[in-house]
Amino acid sequence: MKLSTSHLLGIKDLTKEDIELILSTAQQFKDVLQRPVKKVPSLRDITIVNLFYENSTRTRMSFELAERRLSADTLNFAASTSSAAKGETLLDTVNNILSMKVDMVVMRHSASGAPHFLAKHIPAAIINAGDGINEHPTQGLLDAFSMIEKKGSLEGLKVAIIGDIMHSRVAQSNIYLLNKMGAEIMVAGPPTLIPKYIKEAHGVRVEYDVMKALEWCDVANVLRIQLERQNQPLFSSLREYNLAYGIKRSMLDKLKKEIVIMHPGPINRGVELDSDVADGPHSIILNQVENGVAVRMAALYLLSPKSN
Amino acid sequence: MKILLKQVIIADPRSPHNGTVKDILIADGIITKIAGEIDGAEEVLHCGGTSFASPGWVDVFANFNDPGFEYKETLETGAAAAAAGGYTNVLVLPNTNPVVHNKTQVEYIVQKSKGLAVNIHPLGAVTKACEGKELAEMYDMYSSGACAFSDGNYPVQSAGLMVKALQYVKAFNGVVIQVPVDKTIGQFGLMHEGIMSTKLGLPGVPALAEELMVARDIKLARYADSKLHFTGVTTPKSFEYIRRAKEAGLQVTCSVTPHHLFFCDEDLLEYDCNLKVNPPLRSKEDMMALREAVLNGTVDCIATHHMPHEWDSKICEFEYAKNGMTGLETSYAALNTVLPNLSAEQVSTLFSLNARKIFNLPAAEIKEGETADITLFNNDGDTQLTNETTKSRSVNSAFMNKMLKGKVIGIFTKANKFINP
Repeated sequence: MKLSTSHLLGIKDLTKEDIELILSTAQQFKDVLQRPVKKVPSLRDITIVNLFYENSTRTRMSFELAERRLSADTLNFAASTSSAAKGETLLDTVNNILSMKVDMVVMRHSASGAPHFLAKHIPAAIINAGDGINEHPTQGLLDAFSMIEKKGSLEGLKVAIIGDIMHSRVAQSNIYLLNKMGAEIMVAGPPTLIPKYIKEAHGVRVEYDVMKALEWCDVANVLRIQLERQNQPLFSSLREYNLAYGIKRSMLDKLKKEIVIMHPGPINRGVELDSDVADGPHSIILNQVENGVAVRMAALYLLSPKSN
Repeated sequence: MKILLKQVIIADPRSPHNGTVKDILIADGIITKIAGEIDGAEEVLHCGGTSFASPGWVDVFANFNDPGFEYKETLETGAAAAAAGGYTNVLVLPNTNPVVHNKTQVEYIVQKSKGLAVNIHPLGAVTKACEGKELAEMYDMYSSGACAFSDGNYPVQSAGLMVKALQYVKAFNGVVIQVPVDKTIGQFGLMHEGIMSTKLGLPGVPALAEELMVARDIKLARYADSKLHFTGVTTPKSFEYIRRAKEAGLQVTCSVTPHHLFFCDEDLLEYDCNLKVNPPLRSKEDMMALREAVLNGTVDCIATHHMPHEWDSKICEFEYAKNGMTGLETSYAALNTVLPNLSAEQVSTLFSLNARKIFNLPAAEIKEGETADITLFNNDGDTQLTNETTKSRSVNSAFMNKMLKGKVIGIFTKANKFINP
């Protein structure tokens, strides 16, 4: 089995079969990760560069770990401490790295479409680790993996994505993926943080009352308020955000059902999520992190020159 | 020197020969004779009864970047691109370095353009350094040869300042050109806000940002009773406002670009930086409405918004790419490809006559005794611009390598000629 694409730029470009293939491969890798010897030789002699033009802790570590578990050689690049800080262009940087015989590129970048630009100009396989406010495909995949693990299937599953939809590449990748897999989607949050045309673009439900969203859903994927990506004030204060849109334990207690709480991290505790929710029984946040490694192993493996 | 245009269809609604096939004799830059059959010239250009002679075309909004950004374009390369595109007159933006905001800068362009193939008319800045804070010396610039006034790519945001500018230029019958964008709306936008921007994860510029500015500036023009020209208009609502202003007798006119008529936001699927322009490419419906506005006469002129950029400004991440594409050389063919039923008269009107009226340029009538200022074109030839054939210094055009219908044969102006290969 092969993917229909040679890069992982976004969930937008994947077929349902591609998604199923990545998720089933991830399940195999997850089984591997439970063993005493967690390393497999699948990507021996493959060199992968992790290009991070934006700060990252868990995604970068998750990719790096996935690469090492697959026995790949890894190179790390952080824009703030590199030639990018000296004004080198993205294309120059990547071409220089590829000259050193690197096979695959994992890239995070603050500009939407940056990996798509790179894919047009370089021969190596590219995995998007987050581009601007566009997509974060491996997060979408690991969220799906975690939802399936908890709920059995995505078909007909009611997923509410809550919070800063506007600046969230996680939301976009989740929406593309869940739509392809037959889930029902609602986005909820303050109107200033919900793209005006999201209903027309993705056929999702839009709700401004978070309690109603919680009542509707089986899974609530709560997003981080992306203060770093907001160039202008879109709500009045973090305090008010928490009052109006934060998920509190008392809200979950009022529901007549058990729902699953997810969050891509890092959490702004006391803003979008109160600590007793983040750490409470509904939360599968740490499972998401665990699954991230397996999902990234699957993506790397399926896109590597060894599989193609 | 005598040049004879053999068997050319005259496309000038003001001429008694309009629509007829004639021979035109040009001697030392003057149209000396128009008749059914003329002989005895040193040089003959056979047009076979299928090519049109229009009054020389005028581009009302092009950036030649000279001085300051000569690595993008110079007055020389810009003029060469204009000639290849059939333009005999070009109004160039003040967004140079230094900005064209005083007499010295206007004179630089006027003097330096004298020997060039086409007539270059500087647009003077409305405000000092195009910063939108203080009025520039528009009277002095007008006296030195500035043809109209605009802050170019940095439209005047303050209503108070804009109304003063509109009032101020009345003293010398001036026109203010505005790209209608309210920059407080969709300030960080990179493309049209809509379904496509949502799908592509790019911040959007809503149509509202333009429509608010059009509505506002029309009110200001009414108050000032002055001349206002909008360029790069893109939305149906804007055209509705402009149409109503015209019906009310206001001196409001507008122009659109060939790229807004040819492309829409759906073409941005691959994040093609050459399609990053300002105002942004709008939706497909907007694009179709734009074509309709050209056909029904709401649009007065075609403006290329020729914005050359060096390689590195476009071969980069979409967010970091500069706005704009080159357009002079593909303008007519792009328009003719999407609107093949435009009559030659409509082409002359859109490319020349209206702009000449609005900006007080010489009439360029195709008539015996007049100075020859003529563009020759046909609608059945082909145009295919490539990186090798472009005369512009830059290659940032989404029209590159596209096969377009319609061809500019050449121009006659300034007692000279330029014929395309």
